Amino acid sequence: MIEARDLHKAFKVKTGLVRAVDGASFVAGDGGITGLLGPNGAGKTTTLRMLYTLMQPDRGAVSVDGRDAAAEPAAVRRSLGVLPDARGVYKRLTARENIAYFGRLHGLEPQLIAARTERLVAALGMEDFIDRQAEGFSQGQRTKTAIARALVHDPQNVILDEPTNGLDVMTTRGLREFLLSLKTQGRCVILSSHIMQEVGLLCDHIVIIARGKVVAQGSADQLRLLSGQESLEDAFVRLIGSDEGLAT
Amino acid sequence: MRTVWTVMRKELLDLYRDRRTLILTLFMAPLLFPLLILGMGALAESRARTQLESTLELPVIGAAHAPNLVAYLGTLDIRAIDAPADPQAAIRDQVHEVILEIPADYPAQWRASRPAVVEILYDSSRQDSRIPVARVENALRNYSRRVATLRLLSRGVDPALGEAVVPGRRDLSTPEARRGMALAFLPYLLILSAFLGSAYLVIDITAGERERQSLEPLLATPSSRAAIMSGKIAAACAFGMFSLLLILLSFKLSFQFAGSGPFRGVDVSFGAMGRLLGILAPMVLIGTTLLTLISASVKSVKEAQSYMSVLMLLPIIPTVILLVTPVKSQLWMFAVPFLAQNQAILMVLRAEAVGPLQWLVYLGAGFGLGLVLWLIAARLYHREKLAISA
Repeated sequence: MIEARDLHKAFKVKTGLVRAVDGASFVAGDGGITGLLGPNGAGKTTTLRMLYTLMQPDRGAVSVDGRDAAAEPAAVRRSLGVLPDARGVYKRLTARENIAYFGRLHGLEPQLIAARTERLVAALGMEDFIDRQAEGFSQGQRTKTAIARALVHDPQNVILDEPTNGLDVMTTRGLREFLLSLKTQGRCVILSSHIMQEVGLLCDHIVIIARGKVVAQGSADQLRLLSGQESLEDAFVRLIGSDEGLAT
Repeated sequence: MRTVWTVMRKELLDLYRDRRTLILTLFMAPLLFPLLILGMGALAESRARTQLESTLELPVIGAAHAPNLVAYLGTLDIRAIDAPADPQAAIRDQVHEVILEIPADYPAQWRASRPAVVEILYDSSRQDSRIPVARVENALRNYSRRVATLRLLSRGVDPALGEAVVPGRRDLSTPEARRGMALAFLPYLLILSAFLGSAYLVIDITAGERERQSLEPLLATPSSRAAIMSGKIAAACAFGMFSLLLILLSFKLSFQFAGSGPFRGVDVSFGAMGRLLGILAPMVLIGTTLLTLISASVKSVKEAQSYMSVLMLLPIIPTVILLVTPVKSQLWMFAVPFLAQNQAILMVLRAEAVGPLQWLVYLGAGFGLGLVLWLIAARLYHREKLAISA
């Protein structure tokens, strides 16, 4: 379970202070998929970075499975699987070596890494390219490698930044099934997206973020009810107050 | 500790897969340095030999005033030729290296047994003219002494009276040390190789990894940042030491092949090579940690690389200072980075013993500085901005 309480984060830039995240609170429970939905530049990535302890919130707190992220960052990171916005797969290593590297950094034994890798390869459909060097991988192959790498230590909580970004329809469908299987395993999954249908199809709980603030949250039905709109898209436009950065 | 080992192994594997870069960085220097050194040595030697032993064509102005002198020069393989119309321009335009001028009053002075003035025209800023000028000057001095001796004898005076004190010279430098002088630039090459030999690797695994955006997932693992950084530093140090080993081996082989020449007798035993490796080890650590520190504090690989030109000059500074104000080798020097390496390498090459106290100060100061730089770099690795590339 991941809990964000009143997160604030501002960056200094030449023109002044940018409030990237300006009061974000939500709870993502186990056995469910929580979606952060918002236009480009709404503060989704910054929020996620605070969740996986890469950034310290200026104000507010994050707790993962009841542990405070600021007090025990290493323990929190151990219980998190993270797919960052930048996939950062090492080009000169094979997909298998990429996964094994992170397994070792998590302190896993080689046999355990090998067994987990086999499971993830089967679940994600990586058989064709698992022993190829990542140089020249397609976007989908890179994403799959990065997801397998993030899950090699079997984390209870999974954070994915725009997981379906740049993937074709078939790969997206496969990934969707994989994420639903994580949910049925009782894990807590958080993903961010600017794609409405994606979030509508996958997520049990939707957190709509605009200009660093949480403007509404609830299930898809609750959001439609809240905004008085028939479709989720209209609800979204209504709730963020504009149609900027919207993709369907 | 396990993280350090894991990261180090991954970085070395990553580098090993990048064959072309690996081969260029590992083998370029060991192939080029000996060529440079031996080529330069051979060139200087052959030039000196031709200038010393070949016939020197000396334009003489007013040769007719001193036929005896011209004949004497001829016996020393200095052949007088006609002087150019404008001697000053000839020197300035580098047509001739040296010109002798015999003034019109030379015969009159000669007959009166007075000192007759002759002038040597040359350009002291030209390296080329040094040997010919010295040859002409020596020949003139010898001629003058001979004639003076004859004049004294003809007047019944003992020529020895003309010399009250005869200064003699005894050169006490060891043969190795004399040759060591020819090696003044060798420490610079070695220090530079140790200091920046793995520079591109270091920049790549911190600033480059950040630019490729793979640092964010890496730092999101529970491994401590200090351990990740240490693994990267360890990989770069291992690579740096290996490439130094290749360079030293290539020096050893090429000096042995060179045999005679200006580098004969330079200590290239395995013991000396081992000591050199020991001397350069702290330099490898200092270079790697300093570059890690820089790479962790800049925004891009390009920015990190722009520090390189300044860093390349650092090892020259002590050499230049020693050149301008030569000072005796003292203990404190072994604590000053670059200067210490310079001193210690020269001592080893000149086959002088480095004392235990000097080793202690040297290694203490070198690794101490490396540790301080490591601590600062580790602090920078904890900055929030480091992981965020976009």
